[in-house]
Amino acid sequence: MNGPFNSGKPVVPEPSPQSAGASPRARKPKEPLPFGKTKQAREAEKVLNHIVDDFDDNPKAMDYFYDLFRRVYCRGETIAPDGPLIGTTCIQAPEELIYAMGATPVRLCNGSYHYDQIGAEFMPSKSCSLVKATLGMLTSDDPVPRVGKLDLVVNPTTCDQKKKASAMMQDMGHAVFDLELPNVKESEASRVYWQRSVRSFAEEIRKVTGKKLTRKNLKAALARTQRAEKAFRVLDGFRKASPSIFLGKDAFLVVNAYFFDNLDNWCEAVERLNDELKIRYDNAVRAAQKKAPRIVFTGSPPIFPNLKLPLLIERAGGVVVSDETCSANRMLYDMTAVDEWLVNDMVDSLADKYLKPCTCPIFTKNDDRRRRLLELVKKFEADGIVYQAFAGCQVYEMEQRSVAKTLDENGIPMLYVETDYSPDDEGQLSTRIEAFLESIKTRKRMRQ
Amino acid sequence: MKSSLDGMAPNWRQRLTLPRGMRDAINGVDFNRFRFWLQIFFFVLLVYGGFTGLNLGNNLPTFSCGYNQNGRPGVCYLLPLQHQLAMPTKALLGYASLTILSGLFIFFLWFIVLNKGWCGFVCPLGTVQDWITDLRVKMGARFTRYSQASFETLSWIKYVLLALMIVIPLGIGAGYFSHDLGAPYCMICPARLIIPTLALNFDQLVLDFSSPGKIVMTTLGAITTGLFLAGSFVKKRFWCFFCPMSAFHYLLSKPAFFRLIKDGDKCTRCGDCYTVCDLQIKEIADDVKNPQIMMDDCIVCLKCVAACPEQGALKATFAGRTVFESTEEGFIKRMEKGTRA
Ligand code: SF4
Ligand code: SF4
Ligand code: SF4
Repeated sequence: MNGPFNSGKPVVPEPSPQSAGASPRARKPKEPLPFGKTKQAREAEKVLNHIVDDFDDNPKAMDYFYDLFRRVYCRGETIAPDGPLIGTTCIQAPEELIYAMGATPVRLCNGSYHYDQIGAEFMPSKSCSLVKATLGMLTSDDPVPRVGKLDLVVNPTTCDQKKKASAMMQDMGHAVFDLELPNVKESEASRVYWQRSVRSFAEEIRKVTGKKLTRKNLKAALARTQRAEKAFRVLDGFRKASPSIFLGKDAFLVVNAYFFDNLDNWCEAVERLNDELKIRYDNAVRAAQKKAPRIVFTGSPPIFPNLKLPLLIERAGGVVVSDETCSANRMLYDMTAVDEWLVNDMVDSLADKYLKPCTCPIFTKNDDRRRRLLELVKKFEADGIVYQAFAGCQVYEMEQRSVAKTLDENGIPMLYVETDYSPDDEGQLSTRIEAFLESIKTRKRMRQ
Repeated sequence: MKSSLDGMAPNWRQRLTLPRGMRDAINGVDFNRFRFWLQIFFFVLLVYGGFTGLNLGNNLPTFSCGYNQNGRPGVCYLLPLQHQLAMPTKALLGYASLTILSGLFIFFLWFIVLNKGWCGFVCPLGTVQDWITDLRVKMGARFTRYSQASFETLSWIKYVLLALMIVIPLGIGAGYFSHDLGAPYCMICPARLIIPTLALNFDQLVLDFSSPGKIVMTTLGAITTGLFLAGSFVKKRFWCFFCPMSAFHYLLSKPAFFRLIKDGDKCTRCGDCYTVCDLQIKEIADDVKNPQIMMDDCIVCLKCVAACPEQGALKATFAGRTVFESTEEGFIKRMEKGTRA
């Protein structure tokens, strides 16, 4: 089968179209192509077409997101930030602080194969596609999403590759702030350490924007993200419906949009989507077959345009009903509780939210991640788990064993997929996924 | 914000047993406000109830301070207990043992109804601490926390105080100590100075120079009260952490009706409950194995339940029936109120 990404194009780094004929490293366009003709735009376009056209009956309210991605990724439109623009390389950077002091966050984690190839020059060959793509995007003159000039890049010290990327981003000319994240999250010492890091981050933002953090602006910022989290939770609730009324590919797209979209517009669009899903739920409109295997997605994060695996699963008749990834569920699920609405307490509470529930594999222990997976399977009545590890993402690769063991003990089937952004393993992956879904269906039949 | 939560989560709604509307109303309540008013109600009852002639007996498991002679509607059990234990040893081994046992039994019966909820909702001294906290928040000052190490050390003090509260009266009865030590815990309890004062009875606000023992004890009492006022201003529920009543409660809490229960499977260890906990109880967030999550310092204030965003991860039960549990909707409502206020 010819999959959505298998365009028959060569997969080895090739000269970018802007510099046809020149060496692959010389990326400065002599004659800039119209944006829509660039490689990154075409890559995005192709995936978007699959997301939209390969499925019947997409929710109307998804048009906002399809459009948004077309505008930003395919036509190169800019989303104008309010105030200075602060790039984040990880979900652990508390965005409420950024909003409060009048800046706009944009998440830089990138999913493009095009940038992955460009970024390859910075990292050893066996490195994570996501880190390479992020570096590739940051080094480009014409990056997508077109975030504009970054006033600061916040780089939480998570995995080794992201840590080392810090100096590289600095070399590219970006102002980088290393947000110190502990490697252990259980101890009280690490909590206190992290709360201090977060406070110095607030200090850093103040230097960029010149605005002070006050009770009023922080509360207002919390209210804005609260609205987003609430909308996300409602959306998440609809994914419990069985048979499914909403597909995972759309869910990923919605949260991916959160990376760069205007916060208030995003909230409105998700609220509209929720209203539509409510109607769909009441009228029992189905988005997938009744017996479609229900999958929880975990591991390395799918980020547009690299929605390869979720798309393959859903094209093969499965449904991604939930996920444990930092490009979707982990980004918006957890909510902040505040006891005393004073600046200090709000900042500490925020720090807690960004550290304590985090199931990122960079921490020493992964009990929480395994427990979360079991709970997601239960809550979403899932039949199995698909575990994506980007080749070169050591931490996810290393956790495979313990996760597999826990799932095995609980009788939950898991498919472990090691892959990267390149489209050339797609045929083979699709065979494996089909076989996995088939085995789940057989299991279900046997049980009945 | 028009998107309504009614549309969400079709599945978990079906599991509910109580009428849905009632249950949602309870779980979505503005909990802190509810508790604030309930505390005022009990405060008035326990500090001024006596003026109406109300008498609930001498075995109350909370600081209905005995020195507030006219206002109290009953007496905090610690006062009669210490007096009884100070009886001559001979008497203790004889007829008085019955007095003590029956007193203890009535205390126990009162206690098991609310468990340490007596502390979270009823105790007037607890309520005073919460008001001091409110004052601090109004003034915009931040609170302090103990480091984990100090927490663990200081946590023993209440047991030491409880032991002294029993051993010293026994020593008095056996003739080792002077009767001037009186009810030793009461002498150093901040409630003895604060509660009668709030009922406009200023008798306790003096240092008693009638004997060396009394000088020492009343001075200590003045010091602890000073510490109480200053401590409560910087540390939430400062005194509860050292309170021997709390230790006493904990030792008897196994059969209590009112309980704090945790479903570890549903917990994401987000730490929201820990963040709001006045007593800095780390286990409330981190322990996912033990369903009986009421730790010895806990005052069952249920702030953690109100601050937990996970459906049913924390709950309060009475005789096995859920009376209040954490819900996503309730959480969102409460926090939205916070950001809007
Ligand atoms: S622990 Fe606090 S609330 Fe409980 S009896 Fe002691 S002072 Fe009162
Ligand atoms: S608030 Fe709830 S989910 Fe979060 S740690 Fe506490 S019990 Fe667990
Ligand atoms: S654990 Fe919960 S009930 Fe106990 S003191 Fe802390 S917040 Fe209150």
